[in-house]
Amino acid sequence: MNRYRTLQITVLVLLGILLIKLFSIQVVDDSYRRYAFNNVLQRNVQYPPRGEVYDRRGEYLVKNKEAYDLMVIPLEVKQFDTLELCRLIGVDKERFKKELRRARNYSRRRPSVLFKQLPKEFKLRFEERNFKGFYLQYRTVRSYPRKMAGNLLGYVGEVTDRIIERNPYYRMGDNIGMSGIEQAYEKELRGKKGVKIEMVDVHGINRGSYADGLYDSVAIPGKAIHCTIDPKLQMLGEELLRGKVGSVVAIEPSTGEILVMASSPTYDPDQLVGRDRGNNYMKLLNESRRPLFNRAVMASYPPGSTFKTINGLIGLQEGVVTTQNRYPCHMGYTIGRGVKCHSHWSPVNLVEAVQTSCNAYFCYVFRDIIDNKKYGSAKAGFAVWRDYVESFGFGRKLNSDFTNELNGNLPSLEFYNRAYNNRWNSMTILSLSIGQGELGVTPLQMANLCAIIANRGYYYIPHVVRAVEGSDSIDSRFYERHYTKVDSKHYDPIVEGMWRCVHRDGGTGAIARIPDQDVCGKTGTAQNPHGADHSTFMAFAPKDNPKIAISVYIENGRFGATVAAPIASLLMEQYLTDTITRVDLVQHIKNMNINYPNYDRKK
Amino acid sequence: MIGKNENSSYVTSIDWGTIAIYVGLVLLGIVNIYAAVYDNTSGFFDFSSRAGSQMIWFGVALVLAMFIMLLDGKYYYTWAYPIYWFSVLLLISVLLFGEENKGAKSWLMFGGKDGFGFQPSEFVKVSVALALARFMNEYGFNLKSRQSLIKVFAIIGIPLMLVLSQNDTGSALVFLSCMFMLFREGLNPWIYIVGLVLIALFVLSFLFQPIAVLIMLMCATLLVSAIISRSWRDKLTYAAATTLLSLLVYFVLLCFTSVSYYVSLLVAIVISIPLVVLYSWRRQIYSNILSTIFFVASVGFTFSIGYVFSKMQLHQQKRILDLLGVESDLDKWGYNVHQSKIAIGSGGFFGKGFLEGTQTKYNFVPEQATDFIFCTVGEEWGFVGSAFVIGLFGLLIFRLMKMGERQREAFGRVYCYSVASVFIMHMFVNIGMTIGVMPVIGIPLPFFSYGGSSLVAFTILLFVAIKLDSSQKEIFY
Repeated sequence: MNRYRTLQITVLVLLGILLIKLFSIQVVDDSYRRYAFNNVLQRNVQYPPRGEVYDRRGEYLVKNKEAYDLMVIPLEVKQFDTLELCRLIGVDKERFKKELRRARNYSRRRPSVLFKQLPKEFKLRFEERNFKGFYLQYRTVRSYPRKMAGNLLGYVGEVTDRIIERNPYYRMGDNIGMSGIEQAYEKELRGKKGVKIEMVDVHGINRGSYADGLYDSVAIPGKAIHCTIDPKLQMLGEELLRGKVGSVVAIEPSTGEILVMASSPTYDPDQLVGRDRGNNYMKLLNESRRPLFNRAVMASYPPGSTFKTINGLIGLQEGVVTTQNRYPCHMGYTIGRGVKCHSHWSPVNLVEAVQTSCNAYFCYVFRDIIDNKKYGSAKAGFAVWRDYVESFGFGRKLNSDFTNELNGNLPSLEFYNRAYNNRWNSMTILSLSIGQGELGVTPLQMANLCAIIANRGYYYIPHVVRAVEGSDSIDSRFYERHYTKVDSKHYDPIVEGMWRCVHRDGGTGAIARIPDQDVCGKTGTAQNPHGADHSTFMAFAPKDNPKIAISVYIENGRFGATVAAPIASLLMEQYLTDTITRVDLVQHIKNMNINYPNYDRKK
Repeated sequence: MIGKNENSSYVTSIDWGTIAIYVGLVLLGIVNIYAAVYDNTSGFFDFSSRAGSQMIWFGVALVLAMFIMLLDGKYYYTWAYPIYWFSVLLLISVLLFGEENKGAKSWLMFGGKDGFGFQPSEFVKVSVALALARFMNEYGFNLKSRQSLIKVFAIIGIPLMLVLSQNDTGSALVFLSCMFMLFREGLNPWIYIVGLVLIALFVLSFLFQPIAVLIMLMCATLLVSAIISRSWRDKLTYAAATTLLSLLVYFVLLCFTSVSYYVSLLVAIVISIPLVVLYSWRRQIYSNILSTIFFVASVGFTFSIGYVFSKMQLHQQKRILDLLGVESDLDKWGYNVHQSKIAIGSGGFFGKGFLEGTQTKYNFVPEQATDFIFCTVGEEWGFVGSAFVIGLFGLLIFRLMKMGERQREAFGRVYCYSVASVFIMHMFVNIGMTIGVMPVIGIPLPFFSYGGSSLVAFTILLFVAIKLDSSQKEIFY
């Protein structure tokens, strides 16, 4: 081959190599475009203020408070009084140096966060002096003007890696609602982050906005939320619960709005804000009585005698009992192993049975439901019974707007078949007749039961939010009536029994009487394996056109009438009359401290 | 052409097309220098800026070009040697009085440190090209004679050594581009084949384990020798026997000490070589012996690579490792090339547009007006613009080669080819390093990179060729 030609081809090959490589990095591979954006574009996130939370009277439950992140650009830091700055922040020198080193390792030219959420006082003192290379970035944090309902409101925390992985909205350093309303209404409360894309040069110096701000967006503040909580009632509830472990849930029966949701022990929500959040959180987490555990929706208790109302209702609907039926009771139900009862007159009819909380009466009724000839077997009868109970909102989530709602426990047919190897009958499960046994219900479910009885047969799904800023209504499911499988007419004898329970001598709930008010209530004294009986009480008032339905559950509080009934009574009085006449009772309850060896022993 | 008007013959004999390409390249260079250092403040005709001062240098270069064109073509022949020796003298004086800049002592300064300075190594290209042209034009010159060859390499070697001792490896490497010209003049092609094999071995030894390189070499040798001798059977027998032997050695050695298979294969090969030579000698298959020699030499070379490499300077080692993808240190050694690839790669097909290149404008690319000026082309004008610039260079090189071909005398041909060689070298190495095809070697992109010395030197280099070409036409038409 001619050498001239060879050389021409050589040149062409060399040019070809360059062109191919250029084509591959410029046209085929677009990773360089990304690298270039990473180099030059700096996304400055604009954090919107989180939506505020109001109570049902329109006052702040949760507010925003200004806070400042201390930022640093290591390259611009000049000689400064380290000790002074440490003192202002409130950290030791070692910690400060460690953070500064971390920032320097990240980038000497780009800003990084040194310390988060410093208070306004820090800002004032910081600005009196001149620390070159340091500056403050405005953020907002939560503040709680009335320091209550910690578990209900929930808290806000920084997103974890797992959250970022699952939800692309969140980036490192973002905040998110971690529990309670903050979590349930995260989407409404968080607003929308804005972004300002700016160009920087190799030294990190700002060179103006990218593409004339075409891709920038403005931060949209979070929406305010109006809560259904009655602040006075909530406060009183928390005060009355002090020294006891348990919870109070009150519902407005005509709407399903939750007026009170208190869980005891509680905590000051301000503890879970700001720089001490982590430490305080760990402290609360390690406390033996578990203040972070929202018992109102997350604890599963035996309902005790309050559950008798349901068995009565089912008996009436199934026709196995009428209001005329009377059953004898001489200190108990005597068939089989029997069920003990306390002393009252005998025989009693349904209304009187509710009034006196007669165990034997409901054993008869329950067995008639389960062994109903119509269904052929105890198992079939049980299945029917279970369907009824489920329609009252037990054994499942009520689908409220509250996160972490518990199912509770309503044993299934399969459960008993497995437990008793298919050999069981109505006697085996007789405890269910008086709300013991394998039943587990949450205080929210019990309050809902009370609202059902108050409404004579239906409920609205309980909820804690009544309005979100900018929208006319909340989710449609909260406007829907949910009927139980028991007809409305059968509720009257139960309501009558509950009224007598409070207002007639021989009723177990006499202590719940409120002057000039028709209160209907049902006590419960729930046996449990953790020590003394739980004290529980559910009530609504007034009897006609009820305004409030309430359920109080006090762990190891013994008789329903001991603690739970007075608390419920005081709260109802406060709500209905806006005053409290029984000041002594308030003091008595407030000063009552219950011993909890099963919690405190664990320490 | 005969019968043309005599007055216009001088003008028409000039290769205006090449001059147009030259002007185009320089203007594009100025535009890109302006964009590379653009910071919203300086205007295009601000002569204190780099683009402005490059414009002034362009003016100087044009005046010099005119002067070159007016000078009689014979003078270049007459003065070739004096110019050569003068430039050697300049290089020596740089070593004695030069200023150091970025590790290379390659600047001569007049009027103090901030005065006027230039890089003699840029101009040596012209004088070496002239000297080579003159020498190879001489009666009795024969590339096949050893004496001529030695003299040719001495002409190249003296300035090369001097530039190397300035610690300017890049400029020294440019002298190797003469190999391109020498090929045209008839240098033995085997030299090139051996050279390519050495480069391939060098690269392979970094990319693969020693054992893999050894096996590849063995297979390649057997394949080639099988093709040459047209006998396959003995090669396959050899391969099978050596494999068996190496396994035997491996297991035997394993009984005494822990040993790698690589060592046992080496042992097996060493044992086999005398047998192969003996066998081939008896049967008079001399191609086998040649193959064996090639194989042994190659293996020896791969062994010596490690030693040669360790003698290189650290940054040179790192640049090579980075290019081959053996090591990646994007914050330190690989930073320049990585940023340069980002700038060019982010340009896309059509580029970001004039003055819109963020990577170069905001200084992410180092040396963006000098050695890495191609980044601006790549980023702001995209693949289209890059291809256009490369195309212009290709056109220029082809015209120079064609120019060389049409010279009656070896003098003109050698000179034109030398110029073409220099441009190929500079363009390929410079653009190649910005896109990660070549290691980072600090040599400018002709006519583009900011710098008076290089612009003026390349202009002289080119215009002497144009002058030689046109004056030859004058003589004959």
